[in-house]
Amino acid sequence: MSQDQRQAWFARMMESGLEHSIFKPSDVLAHATPDVLASHLPADLLSKVLTASLAAGSMTPERVLETVTPELLAKHLPHDVLWACIAAAAARAGVSTS
Amino acid sequence: MKAFFVAALQSALDLGIGTPEDVLKHATPDLLAEHLPRPLWARLLTACVGAPKVDAQLVVETVGVSNLCEYTPATAIWACIAEIAARTLGGAVPIARPVVTGPKALTSSSAAGPVAGHPTPAKGTPVKPLSIGSPPPMETKPTPTPPPAKAVGTNIPAPGASVPIGIEDVVAELDAESSPPARARTPTGQRFRQTNTNIGRLAQANQQQQRRPQAQAAVAPPEVPQARPRRGETEIEVEIETDVKSSDDWRTALAVEDEQLVDWSSSEETMTTTEGDAHSRKR
Repeated sequence: MSQDQRQAWFARMMESGLEHSIFKPSDVLAHATPDVLASHLPADLLSKVLTASLAAGSMTPERVLETVTPELLAKHLPHDVLWACIAAAAARAGVSTS
Repeated sequence: MKAFFVAALQSALDLGIGTPEDVLKHATPDLLAEHLPRPLWARLLTACVGAPKVDAQLVVETVGVSNLCEYTPATAIWACIAEIAARTLGGAVPIARPVVTGPKALTSSSAAGPVAGHPTPAKGTPVKPLSIGSPPPMETKPTPTPPPAKAVGTNIPAPGASVPIGIEDVVAELDAESSPPARARTPTGQRFRQTNTNIGRLAQANQQQQRRPQAQAAVAPPEVPQARPRRGETEIEVEIETDVKSSDDWRTALAVEDEQLVDWSSSEETMTTTEGDAHSRKR
């Protein structure tokens, strides 16, 4: 299994989870904290996030995820962080085995 | 949630991260037998009977990921996805870990409220992430060079026309413009005949008189009875010969005295008279 395949799969799961409201952007940022984002996102992406927030006047999880798309999340953030988000959503939904 | 399962499981199978064996490891035959509808079972049995080899791939392909996620308990599907994820992540991550939501560093949309111009999606509606990357560079469309304009009129050259024009051509054009047209137009008023005046007809009659002059007929003077020469009587004599039947009457009517006789051989006038008489007789 290559890194690209795993990255694509997590990107697809994050996209589908957001699309079907399995978890919300705020749930994502509950795991992908500002420390995590600042540690793993590249400088240009951080700049875009800040620029978009300044232009809108506020920084919301929705606006952050508009810039940091699921593909970028899966590309830059550790996958265990993303999986923690997905697993927490599954636990909330009552489908978690543990 | 099932849609998410379908997307996650289908993408895992497509990417090769998960295998059909992983699916059947959790969606066991007992579980399928308990939850799959009979028509799906009939399809599965038909496929298995006709297939040379029955394996997990055949089962998953025949039933379909969507049907598996639809009828199989979510816990089983989730267990499958979690196992794939654990294997993908090296098994270091627990399958399910309660999330302790700490103080949020960022203000959520629900707390901050909707932002002007960015409405918060309603609960239950899918949130589609949008990319707000830097706008694409401005397209600098090349200004299309206007095609050379054609001449507007016959005498107006095109603005961009670079045809050299000599002074002779200019003079000729000016002369052509100043000179009257080769064929002068007939005034409209003379083209039609006025109905009431009949001037046109009279003018036509005058033209015909000019074209074909006719001499006036001379008034004949009243004839004065003149004494006819004798030869005329002679002439009558011929007619009398035709008309008179009686032989005695003409002898008495033509009785000539002696002094009336003319010497034909000595009188020239008589000869002339005779010639003229002959000439008139011819006519």
